Amino acid sequence: MKKYFSIFKISFAQEFAYRVNFIMWRVRNVLQILLVFFLWSAVYTNPQTELFGYNREKILTYVFGIFILRALVLSSGSVDIAGEIARGDLTNYLLKPINYIKYWFTRGISSKVLNLGFATVEILILYFFLKPEFFIQTNPLQLLFFLSAVILAVVMFFSLLVLVNFITFWLPEGGWASQFLIIVIFTEFLSGAVFPIDILPQTIQNILYSLPFPYLLFFPLQIYLGKLSTQATLQGLAISGMWMTVLIVAMRRMWASGIKKYSAVGR
Amino acid sequence: MKKFTYYFKVWWMMSKNSFLTMLNHRIGVFVFMTGKILRFVFFGVFIYFLLSKIDTLAGYSFHQTLFFFLTFNLIDVISQFLYREAYRFRGLIVTGNFDLVLIKPINALFRSLMGGADILDFFTIPPLIGIICYVGIQLGPTTGQVILYILLVLNGLVIATAFHIAVLSMGIITLEIDHTIMIYRDLTNLGKLPIDIYKQPIKGILTYLIPVGTMITLPAKVIMGLVTPISIAASFALGVLMIVLSLKFWNLALKKYTSASS
Repeated sequence: MKKYFSIFKISFAQEFAYRVNFIMWRVRNVLQILLVFFLWSAVYTNPQTELFGYNREKILTYVFGIFILRALVLSSGSVDIAGEIARGDLTNYLLKPINYIKYWFTRGISSKVLNLGFATVEILILYFFLKPEFFIQTNPLQLLFFLSAVILAVVMFFSLLVLVNFITFWLPEGGWASQFLIIVIFTEFLSGAVFPIDILPQTIQNILYSLPFPYLLFFPLQIYLGKLSTQATLQGLAISGMWMTVLIVAMRRMWASGIKKYSAVGR
Repeated sequence: MKKFTYYFKVWWMMSKNSFLTMLNHRIGVFVFMTGKILRFVFFGVFIYFLLSKIDTLAGYSFHQTLFFFLTFNLIDVISQFLYREAYRFRGLIVTGNFDLVLIKPINALFRSLMGGADILDFFTIPPLIGIICYVGIQLGPTTGQVILYILLVLNGLVIATAFHIAVLSMGIITLEIDHTIMIYRDLTNLGKLPIDIYKQPIKGILTYLIPVGTMITLPAKVIMGLVTPISIAASFALGVLMIVLSLKFWNLALKKYTSASS
């Protein structure tokens, strides 16, 4: 445990070593929220508008909630795994007394702490300039469910990201493309990061709910906004848990067979 | 004309090499292409379902909103097709290999900007133009508006070129390219939808300071007959001004190049 705490501290310090990179990354996040914020602001210009089950207050809370959850759930350094496998750098880790998956999970936590800290400050600045209406959830049970959904989402996304990176064991040049398709495109659009999934027809929504993506951002936010009944919340949490288990098992199996395939090309 | 033919031959050769390199990663290319198409489709679907519930977005109908999105994609895809090499420029600078570009009998800016066309983007251009024609016809433009649209799209590409040159120049000075170019892309992404959805001062910034509006929104508005002759003249003037300033910036940056690590 002590060595992973050291990894956490080193990773945290490392993020500050490349300050310009980090600041630029945060600037990008702020720019991305502007399009979504102003789009929904234009749609809900009239404060009385009620559309897709949201009023102005709830949709703007959704937009800012996405901003926070992206920092918490989607920020992760594990994107570098594909490169490490392709270049043969993985060998360095195999020689050390650490678990490679736990190593990246620890680094991910460090990245999340930093991103969450910055996202909070940015939210305060954006709040000062944009002055949006916010919905504050005060029900402790809903907040507990929300927190549980977020924890499940964090583990789920980590497993998914690592799983996609492990494709590099079999396709050394395919890691970047798989990441682009599954992490950038599918996760962005199907998790509710660009738009809430419930604006889509019910049939498409039902298909999406059987996939892991909506449980990364959309589902936790629905709980926070109080849009789900207790039964629907528990059902969603069970599906999240199921996906988390499936992804962890798949990740471990891929690691076990991938490491046999690994030939340290480039070393 | 002789110089143009010379540079076209060089560009053709470099693009062919880039294409052949890409063919080495067929599966990756296929997956990447699928991702690009899906991104376009997903956002189009979103606009469709959004505008099916509300009549207008900032006063624009479904077809008009879609046309803004398509125009954004056209300018974005063409500039990525032509200027993909800019994304690889940092490597040349941090290793000092830019020296090898400078000593060749070819314009260094041309090589740094257009040294490797992205064939993936090229394949998406014809179908995109087809969709633009289809949606554009629904808006009932006159021949004059269509001609102006084409000219303003070209002007948008000139502005995009200026942005890319500025990013390369900043890269020489600060050694930072990757995030700067992505910030440029995030900024242009704000033009996916009409800039009328933004409030001041962001709308003003996007119109005058970082002219995403002139680059993307204005051409689309011409087809809808919503632009004054003064705005059109001003946008062409802005295009010329931006390219002149970016070239000056490039020349300044070249003088700052230290050839470190070479």
